[in-house]
Amino acid sequence: MPWGYGDVVNKTGRAALAGALALIAAGIVMFAFINLMSQPGTVTFAASNGQVNVTLQTVGSYGSGDHPTWVSYEIQTQGGTWQHTTIWQVPARTQVNVTILQYDSGSPLRNEQLGQVTGTVGDVATLNGATFSVNNSNVGNGVGHTFSIPAIGVSVPLAGVNGNDTLCGAAPCEPSSPHNVIKFSFMSPGPGNYPWQCFVPCGLGWLYGNGGPMGTVGYMGGFMKVV
Amino acid sequence: MAIDTRETVSLETSGISPGDVSLRAARIRRVPGWLRPNLLWALAGFLIGYIVGYWAGDFIAGAYPVAANSGTNNVAVVLALTFGVIGWLAGIGVLNYPLQKILGLDPTPAVPDASFARYFRLTEDHKVVGLQYTVGSLLFLFTGGLFAMMIRTELLSPTTHVFGPGTYIEIVSEHGTIMMMMASSIVVGTLGNWLVPLMIGARRVAYPRIEAASFWIFMAGYVVILSAPFLGGFPTGWTGYAPLQTQASAGMDSYLVGFAVIGIGMICAGFNLAVTIINYRAPGMTWGRVPIFVWSILATCALLTLATPTLVVAGLFGVLDRTAQTGFFVTEHGGSNFLWQNLFWFFGHPEVYIMALPGFGIVMEMLPVFTRKPLFAYRIAAAGMIGVALLSFFVWQHHIFQSGINPDMRPLFMLTTELISIPTGFLFLVTLGTLWKAKIWFEAPMLFVLGMLFNFLIGGITGVFLSDVPVNVTVHGSFFVMAHFHYTIMGGLIFAFFGGLYYWLPKMTGVMLNRKLSIAHFWTMFIFFNLTFFPLFFVGILGQPRRVFEYAHNLQTLNDISSIGAFLLGASFLIFLFNFVWSVCIDRTPAPPNPWHSLGLEWQTPTPVPWYNFEHTPVVLADPYHYGEVDAPPVADLGERGGATSSTSSPTPDDKDRGVDIRPHSM
Repeated sequence: MPWGYGDVVNKTGRAALAGALALIAAGIVMFAFINLMSQPGTVTFAASNGQVNVTLQTVGSYGSGDHPTWVSYEIQTQGGTWQHTTIWQVPARTQVNVTILQYDSGSPLRNEQLGQVTGTVGDVATLNGATFSVNNSNVGNGVGHTFSIPAIGVSVPLAGVNGNDTLCGAAPCEPSSPHNVIKFSFMSPGPGNYPWQCFVPCGLGWLYGNGGPMGTVGYMGGFMKVV
Repeated sequence: MAIDTRETVSLETSGISPGDVSLRAARIRRVPGWLRPNLLWALAGFLIGYIVGYWAGDFIAGAYPVAANSGTNNVAVVLALTFGVIGWLAGIGVLNYPLQKILGLDPTPAVPDASFARYFRLTEDHKVVGLQYTVGSLLFLFTGGLFAMMIRTELLSPTTHVFGPGTYIEIVSEHGTIMMMMASSIVVGTLGNWLVPLMIGARRVAYPRIEAASFWIFMAGYVVILSAPFLGGFPTGWTGYAPLQTQASAGMDSYLVGFAVIGIGMICAGFNLAVTIINYRAPGMTWGRVPIFVWSILATCALLTLATPTLVVAGLFGVLDRTAQTGFFVTEHGGSNFLWQNLFWFFGHPEVYIMALPGFGIVMEMLPVFTRKPLFAYRIAAAGMIGVALLSFFVWQHHIFQSGINPDMRPLFMLTTELISIPTGFLFLVTLGTLWKAKIWFEAPMLFVLGMLFNFLIGGITGVFLSDVPVNVTVHGSFFVMAHFHYTIMGGLIFAFFGGLYYWLPKMTGVMLNRKLSIAHFWTMFIFFNLTFFPLFFVGILGQPRRVFEYAHNLQTLNDISSIGAFLLGASFLIFLFNFVWSVCIDRTPAPPNPWHSLGLEWQTPTPVPWYNFEHTPVVLADPYHYGEVDAPPVADLGERGGATSSTSSPTPDDKDRGVDIRPHSM
């Protein structure tokens, strides 16, 4: 046969070869599909007395995994273990009490508007026990991150720790490392997926600070699933 | 008068005697096939180059604060990809000839190779390259199509997500890049490389090594673009806008390097075919007799050669911004992110016509065959193609009506954009004029022609809407735009491309595709294409933005209709794939020498076409569109043995069996 292969492989052989190649192709497609579907896990919180308690921590560099130098959030499950994810689930129309252990340093905000506490119960939060409604990032250690859920107007500045201290460099951070404790509450809305995000450009090494962890679920942004 | 190519190509006058070639060929063949440059060596070369490049980049820039802090060493990634491409090209043998010349060695002569392995090697036979491109373009089309399936799966629900938001935009970006830059752009390579020399009576292309290299450069670009998901993907869509480009993950390096590599491949492919058409036409193949498909390829090649360098340079600038910290697109460093948009679209809009023109060429080449009528207004068609090509350089700013363009410039670019609809209208009217009062032969290629005309009408009209500033401002960045360009590119070019494949594959492969499956492919593709994309006009008008994985709840029904249509559309492609593999690779039912009774010069050669196409350079006597004319002149004198080809004014038994009306056509 002038096309080059017909005389060495018979019809059955060619069919078998095509079938095998089709199976390999299907396998590659399935592998790619499943891998692209992979996302950080979801931590589910159940209500107790009509309220949900959520504990997060921030760390300046995660210390392990695919991006050990990236800044990141972590979530504490109700069992007390820390999980590297930023997706969590709460019941609808429930008071969510958030505790954030902030282990990262801070700096003055580019946009002072983000220094305000909004959308929380009473539009206030507490920093190491002291109530505040505005964080002036030009004094003290500045602001490291925000916790913001734009769809429901929640935004809380997270004051940084002193950058000259020996900071936690790998998650999960131990309470012995320097950190601030920020607490606030808000009411969860109706069912849906609500993106949340840090709005302080904190991607060190990235132009404008907005690349890398700032655009990656599992680091400085995620979802609050409300069911 | 066109150049007689006999002296430039025959072995007898090339300074190499046939005996020399045989001896050299024998020496080459003594080397085991797997040791000669081939696809496996290319893959190995890519891997070795990647490792070496990454090591070098890590050595150079691994300790830079920007790399240490971000955890991403763009220098290493760019060098890895670049060295990988060089390794790929070395492995496939692209560098052999230039290195042999540089070192003063006798280059290895190209010899006819009839083995199946030639499809996995660098070859100077334009027909093998054409088939390589065919398989390559189908590979790109199916890869991009799989990403499209993922997009529509995600958009089945506004709230239940299959992918994360970052993954979704990576998928959209991969889909857009592969489809726009690879699957749609290389029709020139697929049908152009295979057909153009035969259609113009040439015995080879002008630069066979460059032609062969262009395909393997494309394949290297494919590997580079597909490396992006492993490097974090790129979040910019296929347009790669700065400053998002500048701050994206390492996957963006794949995009920029990949674009530059693909751009070089496009320049090579376009340059070679343009020179071939201009200089290698057979005696008698005057510009007035050049097949209309060749005109479309010539116009496309002009765009490829003149517009694509802008893209390559823009990609290089982007790479430098991300590695050497230059500031071409970084405002704070003295550059402008707006510059990227201008450079990108200065290439990008001609790119739209790089995709559209071959589609029209294919359609107009097939129409006379299946209507048995001469092509209506041939000169208008050729002028329309040149007009589109020229005007395409003056419309790019309509893509940036919303991005900071001087408002006073908007009316000018609105006008130029609307002007281009005039030569485009010429092309459409030529097809309608050819169809006028025709008795149509409804075979699969013709069905795809009619489908293309229907789809392109919708895409073209919505394009006129979009050129108007008020409408553009309203629907910019929405699914309306997305539906529009899918109607023009997929509904236009891809339909024409499949029509062309069904029409020319019997010549290219020597086998007929299964007719029932071909027709089933058309109807399923036509119906489900429209089911997929027509609802998206409404989705866009109702405000759903592109590239966002969440949308308003009230748009779910329309999105679900579109998604179901997309899945069924994907199934229709599987019909084609099965038909192609079964007919070409497994069953191999031999095709008649000229199953469509075409007058085209390419059909006058034996099947399979000999290495040098024509035993003697043909003398062209007439254009190939004298269908239905009783005293039609022969198309060409093929030499002593071939004789002059005849017209099809006399019915053949095969015609009668098929019920083909080949009587002289009366208006």
